[in-house]
Amino acid sequence: MLYINIKVNGKEYELGVKPYETLLETLRDKLGLTGTKLGCGDGECGACTVNLNGKAVLSCLTLVAQTDEKEILTIEGLQNGAELHPIQESFVENSAIQCGYCTPGLVMSAKALLEENGDPTDENVREKIANNLCRCTGYEQPVRAILEAAKKIRGENDR
Amino acid sequence: MRNIFRPSEFRRPKDLHETSWILSSFEGRARVVAGGTELLVHKPLDVDCLVGLSKLDLDYIRNGRAGITIGAGTTLVKIEESEALSVEPYRILREATRLLATPTIRNTATIGGNICNASPAVDLPPALMVLDAKVIISGLEGTREIPIADFFEGVKKTVLSDDEFMVEVKIPAFPENTGASFQKLRHHQTSIDIAIVNAAARLSFAGDTVKEAKVAMGSVAATPIYSKKAEEILKGKILDVDIVKRAAEAASGEAKPIDDIRASAGYRKRMVTVLVERALEESARRCGK
Ligand SMILES: Cc1cc2nc3c(=O)[nH]c(=O)nc-3n(C[C@H](O)[C@H](O)[C@H](O)COP(=O)(O)OP(=O)(O)OC[C@H]3O[C@@H](n4cnc5c(N)ncnc54)[C@H](O)[C@@H]3O)c2cc1C
Ligand code: FES
Ligand code: FES
Repeated sequence: MLYINIKVNGKEYELGVKPYETLLETLRDKLGLTGTKLGCGDGECGACTVNLNGKAVLSCLTLVAQTDEKEILTIEGLQNGAELHPIQESFVENSAIQCGYCTPGLVMSAKALLEENGDPTDENVREKIANNLCRCTGYEQPVRAILEAAKKIRGENDR
Repeated sequence: MRNIFRPSEFRRPKDLHETSWILSSFEGRARVVAGGTELLVHKPLDVDCLVGLSKLDLDYIRNGRAGITIGAGTTLVKIEESEALSVEPYRILREATRLLATPTIRNTATIGGNICNASPAVDLPPALMVLDAKVIISGLEGTREIPIADFFEGVKKTVLSDDEFMVEVKIPAFPENTGASFQKLRHHQTSIDIAIVNAAARLSFAGDTVKEAKVAMGSVAATPIYSKKAEEILKGKILDVDIVKRAAEAASGEAKPIDDIRASAGYRKRMVTVLVERALEESARRCGK
C-alpha cells in the first residue's frame, strides 16, 4: 500500500492506494463518486474524463499514485448545492443528454476548455471533445450546449 | 506467470542514480511510467514495480545556441504550444504532435513515452529523425547519448538495458534555408487514429542546391527508418518535379511494410510515395523554393 494526498472536489483526502490503481477506480470504488464512468478503459471513449489540476485527463489511463499532491475535479464537484453549473444547465436546455453515459465526460472536457478559453469557436469545441464519444446525440447538441455555456459564463445570456 | 497487470510496488525516485538503482534491482521487471497512456492500455504482465519520474523534473523545453533540449517527461501539450518549437524546421514537432491522439491524451502523454514505447507506428520518431535528434540515456554507469534512429531495435524493442531510462531529447541548431515537413495518413483524417503510414523530410539548401536531405518513415518496418536512397538522390541537386518523384519512389522501394488490419503492404508502399513527395514539396516550399 502506498499513501497519497489528493484534493477531490475541494475536499482533502489521505488515501492508501495500490500501485496499479487507476484514478477512475479510486473515484468510483473508494470515494463513491460514480458520476465518472468506465466505458472502454482503453483511452478511446472519454466517459472517464475528469480535470486534473485544471486539465482534462482520462482517469482510466491515470495511475492514482501519480496524482499525489494534485487537485481533481469530477462532475460531482461542479454543482453548487442544488444549483447546476452553467455547463450542466446548458446541456439540459439544449437536449444535449440522451442516454447520458457520455455526459459527465463531455461536461468535464467542456469545463477544462472554458477555463482556458472563455470564447471558443465551434472548431475549438469539436477539437477538445474529440476524445468524447457519444453514440446518441450526433454531437450537434453538445457542441451547441458548450458554446452557449461559454456565453452564459461570459454573462451574455441571450435566452 | 500472472495473467493480470499487478505490479506490487510504485516508486518515485528522487534522482537519476536512485532511478537506475531501482530499475536494475528488479532485473527487467520494473517499468518506467510517464503519462501511462500506452502502458495502461497494454497493461504488461511482466511488471513487478512501476517507477514514476515526476520528482526528476524532466518536464522542460530549453532553447539554446546549440539547439533545443526537451526533457523526456515533457507532456505533448507543452510541445504543441511551445514558442521555441514554432520556428522552422522545429515546427514539425508541433505539427506531428497535433496529429497524435487527442488533446485529452496529449495533456498527460509525454515525448519520452512516445519514443520508448517503440511501436512501429508512433509519430514523433520520424519527425525527430529528420531533425537529427539524439536521445540521452541514463544508467548506473552514467549517461550516454545516441542518435534516435539507433535507439530502436525492433517492434517494442529498444537499446535500453535493465538499469537505463531516457532523460532528454536533443535537437541541433540548423542553418538558415532549412525546411521540414511531417505527413501522416490515417483512416479517418480528422479523428483519433494511429498512422497507416507516416513520413517526415528535411531539406537544407545552399542557394538553390540541396545541401542536406533527410527522409524518414514510420509504420513501414519494425522500427521507423531513414530512406538513404532518397537522400542520395536529393543531395547536391537543384530540385524539380522529377527528382522529387524519383526520391519518393526510392523511399517506397526501401519500405518493407506488412499486411495488417489497418492496411495492406501494397497500399502502404504506394502511400509512402505520396507522403514522401508531399513532405519534400512542403519542405522546399518552406524555404521559399
Ligand atoms: C486512444 C489513443 C490514441 C493514440 N494515438 C496515438 C497516435 O496517434 N500516435 C502515437 O504516436 N501514439 C498514439 N497513442 C499512444 C500513446 O498515447 C503515445 O505514444 C504517448 O506519447 C505515450 O506517452 P506516455 O507518457 O503516456 O507513455 P507511457 O504509457 O507512460 O509509457 C510508454 C512506454 O514507454 C516507457 N517509458 C516512458 N517514459 C520513459 C522514459 N523516460 N525512459 C524509459 N522508458 C520510458 C514505459 O515504460 C512504457 O513502456 C495513442 C494512445 C491512445 C490511448
Ligand atoms: S473509459 Fe477512459 S477513455 Fe473510455
Ligand atoms: S447521450 Fe448517450 S452516449 Fe452520449
